[in-house]
Amino acid sequence: MDFHRVMKDLACVVGETAIMIDPDTLAGHGVDGVRPGAVVFPTDIREISEIVKYANEHGLALVPRGSGTKMAMGNPPKRLDLVVSTCRLNRMKDVDTANLTLTVEAGVIFRDVQARLATEEGRCYLPVTDPDTPENAPFCSDREHKGSFLPIDAPFAEQATIGGIIATNSSGPRRLLYTNPRDIILGVRFVSPTGDIVGMGGKTVKNVSGYDVSKLMVGSMGTLGILCDVTLRLLPLPERMETLLVGFSSFEDAAPFADRLLETRLLPAAVEVMTHSTMDHILPKDAPALDSGRYFVALAFEAFDEAVDRMNREAAEAAAANHAAGTATLEKELHGGFWLKFGNLGIATAEKFPGFFMLHLNYPVSIWKEIFRFAEKMLRVEGIDHTVSAHAGIGICKITLSIDGLDPDAVDRVVRVVERLQTLCRGAGGNCAVHNAPAEIKARLKVWGEEGPDLLLMRRIKEKLDPLAVMSPGRFVGGL
Amino acid sequence: MDKRELITCLEGIVGPANVLVSDMDLELYSYDASLDRARPDVVVLPDSTEEVSKLLALAYRENIPVIGRGSGTNLTGGTIPVNGGIILHFSRMNRILDVDIANRTAIVEPGVITLDLQTMVSQYGLMYAPDPASQKVSTLGGNFGENSGGPHCLKYGLTSNHILGAQIVLNDGTVIQTGGKSVDNPGYDLIGLMVGSEGTLGLATKLILKLIREPEAVKTMLAVFDTIEDGANAVSETIAEGIIPATLEMMDQLVIEAVLKTINAGFPLDAACVLIIELDGMRDGLERKTQKIMDICRRNHVREFKTARNEAERTLLWAGRKGAFGAVGRIRPSYMCCDGTVPRNRLPEALRRVAKAGKKYALPIGNVFHAGDGNLHPLILFDDRDSDELDRVRRLATEILKICTDLGGTISGEHGVGLEKLKETHFIFCNSDLEFERRLKKAFDPTDILNPGKMIPPAACEPS
Repeated sequence: MDFHRVMKDLACVVGETAIMIDPDTLAGHGVDGVRPGAVVFPTDIREISEIVKYANEHGLALVPRGSGTKMAMGNPPKRLDLVVSTCRLNRMKDVDTANLTLTVEAGVIFRDVQARLATEEGRCYLPVTDPDTPENAPFCSDREHKGSFLPIDAPFAEQATIGGIIATNSSGPRRLLYTNPRDIILGVRFVSPTGDIVGMGGKTVKNVSGYDVSKLMVGSMGTLGILCDVTLRLLPLPERMETLLVGFSSFEDAAPFADRLLETRLLPAAVEVMTHSTMDHILPKDAPALDSGRYFVALAFEAFDEAVDRMNREAAEAAAANHAAGTATLEKELHGGFWLKFGNLGIATAEKFPGFFMLHLNYPVSIWKEIFRFAEKMLRVEGIDHTVSAHAGIGICKITLSIDGLDPDAVDRVVRVVERLQTLCRGAGGNCAVHNAPAEIKARLKVWGEEGPDLLLMRRIKEKLDPLAVMSPGRFVGGL
Repeated sequence: MDKRELITCLEGIVGPANVLVSDMDLELYSYDASLDRARPDVVVLPDSTEEVSKLLALAYRENIPVIGRGSGTNLTGGTIPVNGGIILHFSRMNRILDVDIANRTAIVEPGVITLDLQTMVSQYGLMYAPDPASQKVSTLGGNFGENSGGPHCLKYGLTSNHILGAQIVLNDGTVIQTGGKSVDNPGYDLIGLMVGSEGTLGLATKLILKLIREPEAVKTMLAVFDTIEDGANAVSETIAEGIIPATLEMMDQLVIEAVLKTINAGFPLDAACVLIIELDGMRDGLERKTQKIMDICRRNHVREFKTARNEAERTLLWAGRKGAFGAVGRIRPSYMCCDGTVPRNRLPEALRRVAKAGKKYALPIGNVFHAGDGNLHPLILFDDRDSDELDRVRRLATEILKICTDLGGTISGEHGVGLEKLKETHFIFCNSDLEFERRLKKAFDPTDILNPGKMIPPAACEPS
């Protein structure tokens, strides 16, 4: 493939400065070590449509990219010619706080959305120290609204783009209260794998006009199109937000505490059960000291004053009844800062270790304790550095593994662990996916876990919409 | 294959008692709650996934249309067999197979009546949130096909947000399972795509439902206004104030009058409109929220504001709302229920324009709808024996949908496109949008036997 020719052709579409083939850019935009032939930076949906049509005509394979925070998910691409960056699609097109809906381009940073929705007084869902957003309008200036937020608990909140969050259906512990992107998306405009501009849904919070293509695009990992505009529901900013951290010396005390809270009619935003090793990465240095516990339950309360008071009260009672080693409260920015750090867990560890793996386990919620115990015990026995954290009320567990180098023995141990977790989860009707792994190890792992009986239907959809396998070929489930 | 051979094959799959071919039967299944009619060739009542699979395999081989049907309460012609074919009636598949309290899921067959399931799980302190007004009659399979809503979807979302998985029979009889009791199984969101696909992509034979804890406390309020404007403004302000009630419903005078003839629901006869507002959740802070709503209503000149004091009063208020569609039968024998939806801050404008359109076509319009999410249900009242009226009704309905889309809204909030709104799809979709839908349809059903003629207008019909 002659990329000088490609560059010339696409320069007619996006302009000369918006397409790059220099080695540094190519290295920086690689996917699992696979380098593209060119990286292109379109500014709007029409340019993207032209690019995709061109790719179809010339048999090019392309991968869309936002900030790259989750590019390690999935299989290495079977082929990769072009990386299409969405970073210049960064306009907030419709911020309608009175209607509690938002339409932004795919390249808009999640953090900027929350900042834009903050109140004049500086109340914001994320702990935003520097309030400036790209449009240079500091806080939301229309005084009709009391502050709102985009109810997604996205990891890598300060870097991730909305497009990437939607493409991966990214969520976090506070999904317990707010559900996930799939449940709040209202509309999309995207470029299909054959280069058509398609728009479905809109800004009404209810819409059953036609197939729910928005939902199809959520979590589709760049294999069914390139997202350009996304419309999402907003929620009013909670009156008060704080976190209660409870430490326990034993999992056998932490677990019933979490269960007890989940059985009440209380509505915490998160009930997160984690190992000490996890908390080590997160605990703010200036937070009130916790008596050393080996397991922690982090409770997020985001509600009206009275409700937060009651949740604090009942949680404190339950903590005492379950032999808690200590508690600490994180208010205001410390609350936001804690969950921000939690969401950055992947980055924090990845930077330290070349052999970094992130696992995403899902299983019926009733067996969460068994999964946690099994995973933790096995990781100790195999002697692998790890963090384990469970969204206790949802049936999701996130595990990070770090090995010092990629020596064969260490890698074997990791592969063994992953396989056993996959068997365990699959047997229970769930799955274990590998969301991050060194590219060279991926070949030894089933990064998406076991395939399900519905793969045949997914394949039908992919083949119909992307007959030439232009979009992210091979990266998704079943090699789609 | 001729008709007789077909009947024999069908009887071989479900048994002769479950194959209906008499003139009367075919007539009975030629209509649903919409204004369209068409006779099927035969009606079959399967009792298992296996039977459904064999039926579809047969239909696929012989190229016969198949239309799934629950209780036939859909309002847009989703169960009308426009090209004849086989009505696959799910009434026998009405078992609740599993209620898993620890995992908060229920597994049901598609013929289970929605309210029956809700009543059953309520004894465990759990609830299945989507509550379409038809819930006493409609089936969960039908809800799946239409992505049904209801008053509580303002806070809790639509059917699609409460289905975790399903067993689906595809166009050629292949049976697949997708989703399950666990969330986040990787892959495309097939459930998300199939819920609301109006029987055009496949037929669900088992549904895995998400259950949630019943809220600790509920407060139901009635606010009475002397103008529709005031009521609509109160709705917009409530959302802008940052309160998401569990429901926020509006009824206007015409509907109130009709309802009060049937039920003493506690609405005053001469109100221009009433709002039924429900808050739920933890009991803490509920008083303060109620007070805020009362203040908003007062700022909008509310005439009367009361809170249901007990479950009996609450039930009565809701009976008034849920019986509204039926009650308007006292005014005129038929109604066309439009389902246009607007962004909720455009609500007052939308209602004004709809009222004006009603006058232009000289047809009475009753409004009873989900004000909190901007989902209008103008009921155009008429006598369907008068063909001139019917024609005016259809034109008015189209104009109402245009009003909604002009205000940034859409043509269907919860009833679907079906047959009824095929001609209005171009208000919201352009060529490439419809082409994309056609491609998806082809991926699932290339020979177009699954509920043909619904949802997507044929390519030839498009305006150039």
